[in-house]
Amino acid sequence: MSPAQRPDDALLSAWLDGEVEGADCARIQAWLQDHPEDAALVRLWAADRDALRARFSPALDEPIPARLTETLQRRGGARRGPVRAWWTQAVAAVVLLAVGVAIGALWRGSTAPEQVAAGGRTWTQRAAVAHAVYAPEVRHPVEVNVREGDVAQQREQEAHLSRWLTRRLSVPVKLFDLRDQGFELVGGRLLPDGAGPSAQLMYQDSMGMRVTVYLRKAADHDATAAFRFERQGDLSMFYWVEGRCGYALVGPQPRERLLALAQAIAKQDQMPVAASAPAR
Amino acid sequence: MQADDVFRQQLLGVIPRLRRYARSLVFDASTADDLVQTTLERALAHWHQFDQRRDLLVWVLSIAHNAHLDQRRRDARLSVVDPERASADQDAQGGDPGVDIGLRIDLVHALGRLSPEQREPLLLVSVEQLTYAECAEVLHIPVGTVMSRVSRARAVLRQLLDGSARPAAGPHLRRVI
Repeated sequence: MSPAQRPDDALLSAWLDGEVEGADCARIQAWLQDHPEDAALVRLWAADRDALRARFSPALDEPIPARLTETLQRRGGARRGPVRAWWTQAVAAVVLLAVGVAIGALWRGSTAPEQVAAGGRTWTQRAAVAHAVYAPEVRHPVEVNVREGDVAQQREQEAHLSRWLTRRLSVPVKLFDLRDQGFELVGGRLLPDGAGPSAQLMYQDSMGMRVTVYLRKAADHDATAAFRFERQGDLSMFYWVEGRCGYALVGPQPRERLLALAQAIAKQDQMPVAASAPAR
Repeated sequence: MQADDVFRQQLLGVIPRLRRYARSLVFDASTADDLVQTTLERALAHWHQFDQRRDLLVWVLSIAHNAHLDQRRRDARLSVVDPERASADQDAQGGDPGVDIGLRIDLVHALGRLSPEQREPLLLVSVEQLTYAECAEVLHIPVGTVMSRVSRARAVLRQLLDGSARPAAGPHLRRVI
């Protein structure tokens, strides 16, 4: 658009909506200053816009009809089951059985352990259980510890951990670098998943707060790739399926903090192996 | 898998804006809430497809758009109530005193005469104040199409309100609020 040329209506309309930036924006403003008839046209559009808003916005303040809130409260009949998040109960049970009362306190108010079956749970439940079991461990949080010894030994342990988990899971296991988010890799372990092995990577911040990344080779029916969020009690979880791998990030951090970690992991995951930063 | 409580809470939070959009699409309050209910049901049924990194309102408006489209396909005659009658109904339910009722009927009447393809982008951008990119996502059309449809909708609306193709500047500016 040259200065002398009239911006077309679509451009003027987009300008009104704040969709025109930079030099075009300045040129349109200059044009409108010099051309009162076009300025008047845009003012009419703006008045129509305000009138539409004024006309429909009272609906915002109306009380929400009961039938709509009831729709939100309704649970599917055939799929009626535990109303609390399913993995809470699994976590509660395993924590009570395996770790004891101290961690059990995390899950005050969750349901009775006899409701929880040992098998038949989904992989995200197993990820939550694995976090609850291993994150509080002081002496043996991981099988392969990458923080012991000097730098050379640490590097060697990292390489070993990555190779070992990659071989056992049959998918590339990267050791994600979360130092920009304030988390150092502690190490990892191999775990049993439903039909095969899975891996858990553990990270820790300067306050000693831990997050775990649970990885498994995606099953054929793991179609969804979207980030999903769940929260119960003190733990939050983001899980997603990307490529051939399912990921679950579990920790006590606030949702935004955990999301930043999840996004960092997803981003590094998309980089080719050679280009990804070393874990330490 | 059941939609979790966090998601239900998030949905509850977008209901007012969802209702406003539905109202601006179909005018009649009860029919609009039918659309809202259908939208909520679909959102709950497909909650696992929602990517938590995205804006829930945009996702839900997109479902509402699809539901409205389905409704129009099922029965074009019932999907849009006669705007003048609907507006009169709403005024009877208690409009703001001091607002020019005649003009408001004009506005809704004119809006009802826009094609749905023009009306939806205009409402999403003007009333819901979505960006063109968000609007494009809701309607599954390119951003450039949003731009041209909004512009076209504004011109047609003006034409209907004014009775002239091109409003002239000057003293006979219409009072719109």
